[in-house]
Amino acid sequence: MDVLISRLKKLDRRWIFLLIFLSCIIPFWIPSLFRQEFSTSKETQRVYDIINSLNEGDAIFIDWAFNPTLQAELLPMAEQAIKQCFDKKIRVFIYYPDLTAISLGENLVEKIKKEPRYTEIESGVDYIHLGYLPIGVDMMMFSMYSDFKSTFGKEGKIFKGIKTFDDIKYMMSFAGSAHPEYYILLQRRFGFKMGVGVTAVTGPDFIPYLQTGQLDGMLFGLKGAAEYENLRLKNLNLSTEELNEEKKFNQQANAGMASLTLSHIIMFIFIGIGNLIYFYERKFKKSN
Amino acid sequence: MDLINTIIDNTILNQTFQVWISVLFTLMMLSFLFRDNPLYKLGENTFLGISLGYGWVRAWEIAIVPFLIRPIKDAYLDFQPYDITLIFWLLMGSTMFFRFSKTKAWVANYYFAFVFAYVAGYEIPVQVQNLFVQGANMMKPLFEYPTFFEISKWFVIIFGTFAGLMYFFFSKPHRGLLGKTARIGILILMINFGASFGATVMGRIALFIGRAQVLADNVVPSIIITISITVYLIIYFKYIKKEPGLDDELMH
Repeated sequence: MDVLISRLKKLDRRWIFLLIFLSCIIPFWIPSLFRQEFSTSKETQRVYDIINSLNEGDAIFIDWAFNPTLQAELLPMAEQAIKQCFDKKIRVFIYYPDLTAISLGENLVEKIKKEPRYTEIESGVDYIHLGYLPIGVDMMMFSMYSDFKSTFGKEGKIFKGIKTFDDIKYMMSFAGSAHPEYYILLQRRFGFKMGVGVTAVTGPDFIPYLQTGQLDGMLFGLKGAAEYENLRLKNLNLSTEELNEEKKFNQQANAGMASLTLSHIIMFIFIGIGNLIYFYERKFKKSN
Repeated sequence: MDLINTIIDNTILNQTFQVWISVLFTLMMLSFLFRDNPLYKLGENTFLGISLGYGWVRAWEIAIVPFLIRPIKDAYLDFQPYDITLIFWLLMGSTMFFRFSKTKAWVANYYFAFVFAYVAGYEIPVQVQNLFVQGANMMKPLFEYPTFFEISKWFVIIFGTFAGLMYFFFSKPHRGLLGKTARIGILILMINFGASFGATVMGRIALFIGRAQVLADNVVPSIIITISITVYLIIYFKYIKKEPGLDDELMH
């Protein structure tokens, strides 16, 4: 026993890195071995329900505050939110508070437009990239509540009937930082409805806002993105063949969930081993 | 010019080239997990350089030209009274450069004073409003939603906050009731830190999964580059660098 403990204590941490690496990569090669099902959280369900309840021609504002460094978690969420809007023929306004995020958003929408379901989606009619403004969220919100269109200096059919931000039915902020809090702070004054899509790192900071109702819906980390993917696909009412076809384009987050689970199991095992050694040694020292 | 475009099309913009570069840089960065090495440093500095360069070009195209250069040019050609505001803020912003001077650094303070005053004037009322919203939510009827979780959560929140604060109350020795409350306080803090740490680990793994997917989707480049990097690391640490440097973290 002591030899085993001594060996485990001296275990090179690179073996653990290697195991974590393999646990992340193997599920991509053998996905059938790691098929799993999980429930949908009520926060994810809320985002889906709100967007689903909007009517054709309504407008949604997407605040795209993440760059490629966070795309693994946030890109699938943004993709599903945009696709759900396109399915419902809801107008999408995408604003980028980060300069380096613009091309990521533009590329995603172009990718979506290549899918068979969305070939007729038009820029300036169904969606618009509002670009970047070198001002803070506070200034932008005041300006949008004064004159939405002139805030961004853009033109298009999409602006028809949108005079101020009051005409936007819902806003989603996708971020890996405290950025959505700028909007939450102004929500009391303007009373708009908003949800967030956040990384697992920043997610816990937003839970108090859910409890107070300041946030209406939240997508939390990769799991939130996977839940949203499943929820949207389930409610498309497609035949099995069509569903399988659609899954080819909508399984980005789900594909990572098996890796996430397996890597967590590895970590649990090592945390367990570490704790066992700690308690064993403490007991051994006490008895001596 | 055509030659340059052809070269760019066949290299940087070529799909195969992009995949190989993506896999190469992912593995170069991951090589740090073995030990600090020149490949990791090359990847790190390339990333920083490209990020800064890209950011600057985008800032120039999207922010500086349309919001500064073009309006100044228009003001020069056709001056209007409201252009004075543009010039005023340009000059105010330019005072930031006085920070480089040892004797004239105070000039920038006027701009900073304005920024601080604006932020304080704007942030304080909205933050207070936000605190009221959060505070008001604590004063809801206890049996509004009569489920065990909904009722018990208020006791955890209120007693947990109180116990957590008692842990940091050092005016009295932590003995008796205060000691027990402080002990519960530290347990609640630990549960909170544990939950935050768990979420952080999940987030970091999720980011790594993004890169793992790139490697898994491109098996051939991944295997070839992994073998090449492994051979390089063996040669480097066996024959070139034998002594660990000051910034070389030893893994054991």
